[in-house]
Amino acid sequence: MTNPNLERKNIVDIVKYKWLWLGFSLALLVPAIIIMIYSMIIYPSHTPVRVGIDFTGGTMLQYGFSKEIKDPDISMLRTNLQKVGVTNPVIQTEKKSNKIIVSDKTTKTPTVQQTNASIKSIVSIRTKFLSSQGANNETIKVNNIVKQTLGEYVPLQVSAIGPTLGKELFKNAMIALLLCFFGIIGYLTIRFNIDFAVCALIALFHDAIFVCGAFSLFGLLFGTEVDSLFITAILTVIGFSVHDTIVVFDRIRENSKYLSKKKSFNEIANISVNQTLARSINTSLTALITLLALYFFGGSTTKDFVLAMILGIITGTYSSIFNASVLLAMWREGEAKLTAKPA
Amino acid sequence: MKKENLVFLFILGLVVASILVIINKPTKFGLDLIGGSRLVLEARPTAEVPQITPEVMDSLLYSIENRVNAMGVAETVVQKVGTNRLLVEIPNISDPQKAKDYLGKTANLEFKKQVKGFNGQETWVSTGISGKDLKNAYLGTDQTGHEWHVNFVLNDKGSKKFGKLTSEMVGKPLGIFFDNELVSSPVVNTPITGGEGYISGNFKREEAQNMVNFLNAGALPVPAVIIEENSVGPTLGLDSLHKSEMAGLVGITLVMIFMILYYRVPGFIANIALSIYGLLIFAIFKIIPVTLTLAGIAGFILSIGMAVDANILIFERTKEELRIGRTLYAAINAGFERAFTSIFDSNMTTIITCSILYMFGTSIVKGFALTLAIGVAVSMFTAITVTKNFMHLIFGAGELTHPGWFGLKKEEIGKAISFEETTARKAKLGVID
Repeated sequence: MTNPNLERKNIVDIVKYKWLWLGFSLALLVPAIIIMIYSMIIYPSHTPVRVGIDFTGGTMLQYGFSKEIKDPDISMLRTNLQKVGVTNPVIQTEKKSNKIIVSDKTTKTPTVQQTNASIKSIVSIRTKFLSSQGANNETIKVNNIVKQTLGEYVPLQVSAIGPTLGKELFKNAMIALLLCFFGIIGYLTIRFNIDFAVCALIALFHDAIFVCGAFSLFGLLFGTEVDSLFITAILTVIGFSVHDTIVVFDRIRENSKYLSKKKSFNEIANISVNQTLARSINTSLTALITLLALYFFGGSTTKDFVLAMILGIITGTYSSIFNASVLLAMWREGEAKLTAKPA
Repeated sequence: MKKENLVFLFILGLVVASILVIINKPTKFGLDLIGGSRLVLEARPTAEVPQITPEVMDSLLYSIENRVNAMGVAETVVQKVGTNRLLVEIPNISDPQKAKDYLGKTANLEFKKQVKGFNGQETWVSTGISGKDLKNAYLGTDQTGHEWHVNFVLNDKGSKKFGKLTSEMVGKPLGIFFDNELVSSPVVNTPITGGEGYISGNFKREEAQNMVNFLNAGALPVPAVIIEENSVGPTLGLDSLHKSEMAGLVGITLVMIFMILYYRVPGFIANIALSIYGLLIFAIFKIIPVTLTLAGIAGFILSIGMAVDANILIFERTKEELRIGRTLYAAINAGFERAFTSIFDSNMTTIITCSILYMFGTSIVKGFALTLAIGVAVSMFTAITVTKNFMHLIFGAGELTHPGWFGLKKEEIGKAISFEETTARKAKLGVID
């Protein structure tokens, strides 16, 4: 009796090299945690990542210009803004090589008057929350200063979040994260077993910490800020990582039913991972393909969001192949030892 | 084969229905794609209204709705969020600032009279007649036609009060205050009993028109402050829309190419199922209707990647079953049956995350969660029911004559399996021991 699926040579031996696989994860996670702790010390918000106006409250104004904006213009803008009491504005410029094409075909709305606005550079200003109503309208003041300093502009985007709302959004995001963890661990405990659930959860933390660490680093290097879409990305990554883990665990569960008498749990885990290797990689690959398309061709507002998911799906695939089942095998081994010699 | 034909007809019917829906119903795009302003207003308690009750919110909603409607923009949204907030969405506005000034204005009209205070100074005191006593207001001019007036008509109760007041005040100035600012203070010549009057104050036409709109829409019961704003210019919105379309097309095409290269004929079938998935999703988006935002589109594109996940799981399993020498029909069935638990479990976790996101997320996050959840649910149908049906219709019950169709090599197919050693139940599940 031969079963070609079982007799096929294992491509990776997850149990034999378990310290290598786990060591690789640690080599990624330790720096990630260090960067996050460092960020918590240096940022005034004391958060492990640089948080955007979604969570701190503030106003972000974005303007498009049909000419090139140079560095001296920006420092001039900064001094002019500070003169009217806008303290420490964060100003960023972005050059646009490809023109923004405005066609009337897709909008059925005759009110849109802007035609063929070719925008060469984009200037974003981020400040504390500016009032935009009533007699002391700070937003209008800033608009006027931009017009005086840099010339005519096309208003691209305004986002403003009141300071109390920012705190509320942050709280909600944290609650959502926690609930997701509990929801998933609860579901897995019901469908599988508590040890499966705990191992899957560790794999999830692995992915979440890695992505947060990466964005913490981006925050230090490029000033990348984290908004509520980032939390969404983390949650999606968690969901995705669980997908992959479930595929492997489902196979371990199935194989355990029929093979447990003939083979050790370590061997079963090894066989199961190898049997599901192609699908673990392929499912992540199709998701990665669509995400990469979004990253390179999609809108600029969702770029960081997509990047977080790309990173998360890559580590998620790694963790479900090389961490979750390794940990599960170690857990079972430890359990077997405990029952073998009851001290 | 009878059952398979029925299922096929059902799928065909769904496809036709979806196409009809897609053609006939418009797509709702979010403000980040067509441009516009999304504002969140928070009601602030005052000395007169110390608590924001649901009734206060209702009347605030009513006044804000009236004002938004007066702007004459189509497809605006005004809705209550939580206990003390209003969400206002105004698509396609060229000047969000104007809208903000307009919406946040309390627009409280008051008639005041002068009394001498203790120190001999004249101060304005309330007469009890305010914008609440108004029936309506309209635009007018003076006799020369040069100066713009705001004409007002008081309701019955207001007329009586106003008549009584003005008969007491002949020869004295009547203060007309708008949001605690003195607009004009005409001297009362004769008692006004008809309940009609006008307000003049060197208005420009626009100013007068605005005041007319405010008076007709009604004053806000409490001040409303903008605590969140997202305004996107039409230029950026269109740019994002084009880019998302592009990203979606590239993503779908690459996934389809991958599926055909790796899974061959089943991959092609999965692509057809994916196209049906796309049609169904769009039809559902239009029926509900789901407002497509940038994050929502990202969720949809991501769900394409996830929709083929189920197919990958099934095909890998089918290939395994073929390798151990199972017949084509049995292998396909076993592939679907055995992959189902992992597909179901993994999709359930996604649904769990999506529902939590939907409960706690901001509106951007909600859009993403909703499209992703719908996507996952529909993909269960297309990836399982549709693909299985097509697989059976195409491959039938025959032998596997061309292993290449599944991306397998002939020598890979193990013929050594002996079914006596496997119980019938296990064989059905695809487990060989």
